[in-house]
Amino acid sequence: MINILWLFLLPFVSSALLIAAPFADRKLKYFALLLSLLPLFYLLANVTSSIGSEINLAWIPSLGIRFHLSIDALSLLFLYLTAIIVPVSIMAFPSHYVMPALFYSLALLLQGLLVGFFTAQDLALFTFFWEAMLIPLYFVITIWGKAERFAAAFKFLIYMIAGSALMVAAVLALYFTTGASTFDMQSLAQVAEHSSFAIWICAIFLLAFAVKTPLFPFHGWLSDSYYQAPVAGTILLSALLSKAGVYGIARIGIKFFPTILEAWKPTLLALAIIGVLYGGMVAWRQRDYKRLIAYSSFAHVNLLLVGLFVLSQVGYSGAILQAFNHGITIAALFLLAGWLESKIGVTSIDHVSGLAKFMPYLCWFTLFFVLSSVALPGTNNFVGEILIFFALFTYSPWLTVLLGLTVILSVIYMLRFIEKIYFREPLLYQSAWVDIKPKHMLVLLPLIILVLWIGIYPSPILKEIESTFTLLGAAKP
Amino acid sequence: MSYWLSSTDFASISPLLILLAMAFVLLFLESFYDNLSKKIAGWFTACGLIVAIVAAFYAPDSNNVLLTAWLRLDQLARFLNIFFLLIGLGSTLLAISFFKKFSSSPGEYFFLLVSSLFGLILIGESADFLTLFLGLETLSIPLYILCGYMKQWHLSHESALKYFFIGAMATAFFLYGVALIYGAVGTTRFEELMIGYKTISSYEHYIIFLAGTAFITLGLCFKAAVVPFHVWAPDVYCGAPTPVTAFMAVGTKVGAFAAFVRVFVVTLPHFNPLWNELLALLAYPTMIYANIVALRQTQLRRFFAYSGISHAGFLLIPLAVGTEQALPALFFYMAVYSIATLGCFAVMAQLEKDDYGVVLGDLHGLAYRSPWLAAVMGISVLTLAGIPPTVGFFAKFYLFKIAFEAKFYGLVIVGLLTTILSAFYYLRIVSLMIASPSEKGETDVFSLPSLFVGALSVAALVAFSFFPTPLFDLIAQALL
Repeated sequence: MINILWLFLLPFVSSALLIAAPFADRKLKYFALLLSLLPLFYLLANVTSSIGSEINLAWIPSLGIRFHLSIDALSLLFLYLTAIIVPVSIMAFPSHYVMPALFYSLALLLQGLLVGFFTAQDLALFTFFWEAMLIPLYFVITIWGKAERFAAAFKFLIYMIAGSALMVAAVLALYFTTGASTFDMQSLAQVAEHSSFAIWICAIFLLAFAVKTPLFPFHGWLSDSYYQAPVAGTILLSALLSKAGVYGIARIGIKFFPTILEAWKPTLLALAIIGVLYGGMVAWRQRDYKRLIAYSSFAHVNLLLVGLFVLSQVGYSGAILQAFNHGITIAALFLLAGWLESKIGVTSIDHVSGLAKFMPYLCWFTLFFVLSSVALPGTNNFVGEILIFFALFTYSPWLTVLLGLTVILSVIYMLRFIEKIYFREPLLYQSAWVDIKPKHMLVLLPLIILVLWIGIYPSPILKEIESTFTLLGAAKP
Repeated sequence: MSYWLSSTDFASISPLLILLAMAFVLLFLESFYDNLSKKIAGWFTACGLIVAIVAAFYAPDSNNVLLTAWLRLDQLARFLNIFFLLIGLGSTLLAISFFKKFSSSPGEYFFLLVSSLFGLILIGESADFLTLFLGLETLSIPLYILCGYMKQWHLSHESALKYFFIGAMATAFFLYGVALIYGAVGTTRFEELMIGYKTISSYEHYIIFLAGTAFITLGLCFKAAVVPFHVWAPDVYCGAPTPVTAFMAVGTKVGAFAAFVRVFVVTLPHFNPLWNELLALLAYPTMIYANIVALRQTQLRRFFAYSGISHAGFLLIPLAVGTEQALPALFFYMAVYSIATLGCFAVMAQLEKDDYGVVLGDLHGLAYRSPWLAAVMGISVLTLAGIPPTVGFFAKFYLFKIAFEAKFYGLVIVGLLTTILSAFYYLRIVSLMIASPSEKGETDVFSLPSLFVGALSVAALVAFSFFPTPLFDLIAQALL
């Protein structure tokens, strides 16, 4: 019980500490980095004992809300992702921006809220964290974003709030109309489909998750928010926030409403596949690498949703693994894009070329993660995507052919980006750019190790993920 | 049966007596020592109110028939007394800041404020329609004057006049309703009302009774600013001095809902499903209209009028449900709304410079000029918007839970959808505050008393966000 409470409280305490910390600039950044790494250390130190750790206290008895957190294998994977990405985001934040302490503090706040979200076992608590995680991100976009940040942040927030506005009604409907009279997710999962409003409840939840992930066509906010946010914020948005949506679909969608999802499978699959195609096409036509990566992220997230919506064990394993992979890869890509932007000052791919000559290290690291993103065999994304394709094939070979085409699409746009910026003939008037420093490589190193590890030897992680699907399957009535 | 009031009886109505004594002293001071009054009237009121709060906390129960015929001195009354007095204290502190800022003389201001508070307490303790009416009038008449207190302000003229006319009309409706009920059941005492209603034999009397309750509802809806009886609120709030607006936005609204609770939930619980239907029907337009119109407001006092109307719509939900179980939700929401609104007004009291008050543009870049003020405002509006992790989320959650349980699905859906709109306009305030600093090198003039109100309300909001249980317990105890 003590285990998870620590994990939950650490980020909040760190967040408060940072506001009051007497350090400046560099020191502050390293202090923040250290604090943000604590949950990761904590998870690694308890690597054998974290699954099953639980805390269950009465929080607001008059509302029947319990403070119930527990870790299972599904949560654990997302917890690791949270613990890894937040430090990366902090490293990506340039310390000469205004109010750095506030940014670090908000990032840690988000970390704490996500830990709560990924472990919540009480549906009201789940909703609470779900809504609460918007606020830090909203501030991140508004305070440190680019010129159009206000409009982007506002759009982001209104989309999110509108998407999940009815979630409270859905939670209450589960409480009252199933006869369960509890917010406990374990018990609700058994009876959710007995509710007379089950279809509506499921639709409301799916809408909320679809907006956040985002599933096609609920992505209207994505391009502007990803583009206008500072790179550190884009990393949080793409690597963590979208995964909260995926986690929601896995945790609530599949576990609570397996039969309804089964009925909606064709529609959901169609949307996700259109999303992959659409995202790929749009990414292809971008003249701005930050937007290009944003749309590639959108396409990849939809691809993993395809795996999730097939509703088979293989697809599920592929999708959840891919959620983790995508988090790692997209964070690294945005991190590298951010460094590139800070060096050349633009995010357009038309104005620069041949940078490989001036910044070889940046180039090679970018290439590595681009290859991981296009699912080169031996990298993490290959394993996840092959599982998803395999699952889709058992459902419909033709759809798999269609989806297979998109892999080519992703190769086209990603390599076009890297070719244009790094490998063309350098323009004459370009001054000598400064390459990334060893400390930057130090940040990338753990991510590279993870990419290769999952790419070459994924079975320990896959086994854990599979165990959660049988657990989910058992909930079927 | 005793015909004398014992010391315990006096102690049990001590909050009222303290307020009465304060009012006299303030009037006396102003008449004979106006220079002294100018200096100390505000602080004297604040100290007096603190004493009254302590007295209300320790006031014993009394069952002397001389009192209980008119006043009901139960746990609910005690809770409401403390609640009203705290609101009064907040408003007083804001007023001290206000008079310092505009360097005008408070004069009878505090006397009028204390009189208004006296009325509020009478409403909370009423056990008879006559006491209730007396309370409503004692609340309203000083407020008519307070609205126009700044005689030089053009805005205030319209405000005071409008408030007076519409308020007087509402009171007339209320009184007519009381008369009709008296005609139907032959009593104005709350405890005999239900029995009287149940033993109504003739159809005419039944109709008269229903008409009476309709008029009373109408009168109270005017006070609570419920659509379509809200038209006065924006103009009046806009023109009144900020501390008065704060008192109206919180005190009058809470007072009206306390009256609703006294009459329709405690006295006549579910006397007729028609009434509950009616309130539900009022809640829909109130939530929808106020939230839409609030989107376009730029003057903050007017904006908070519409925000207040929309919250009145939310507060109608537990009334429409109308059960004893719904009351904690009502009071919880009311408490959260009051604290957060006072927090906002504390910031506005800091920022205003002229009679037009604060406009949205004044908030531009506030987070850079005065981060603490921005934090107070930010936390308060996030609470009003009901966005977690603030306690506003639980307040809304509780309301919707009660409504869902009573199968008012439509109210839940409309309520949730209108929160999208409210999120839009509340968050626009937050956006503006953290927008890049404006070019003009503006400096804000700080004033300690209103800062104190802001700090206190934010402290309460933050504490209740993480540990809402004490507030729940407090309310549960009040409703035992």
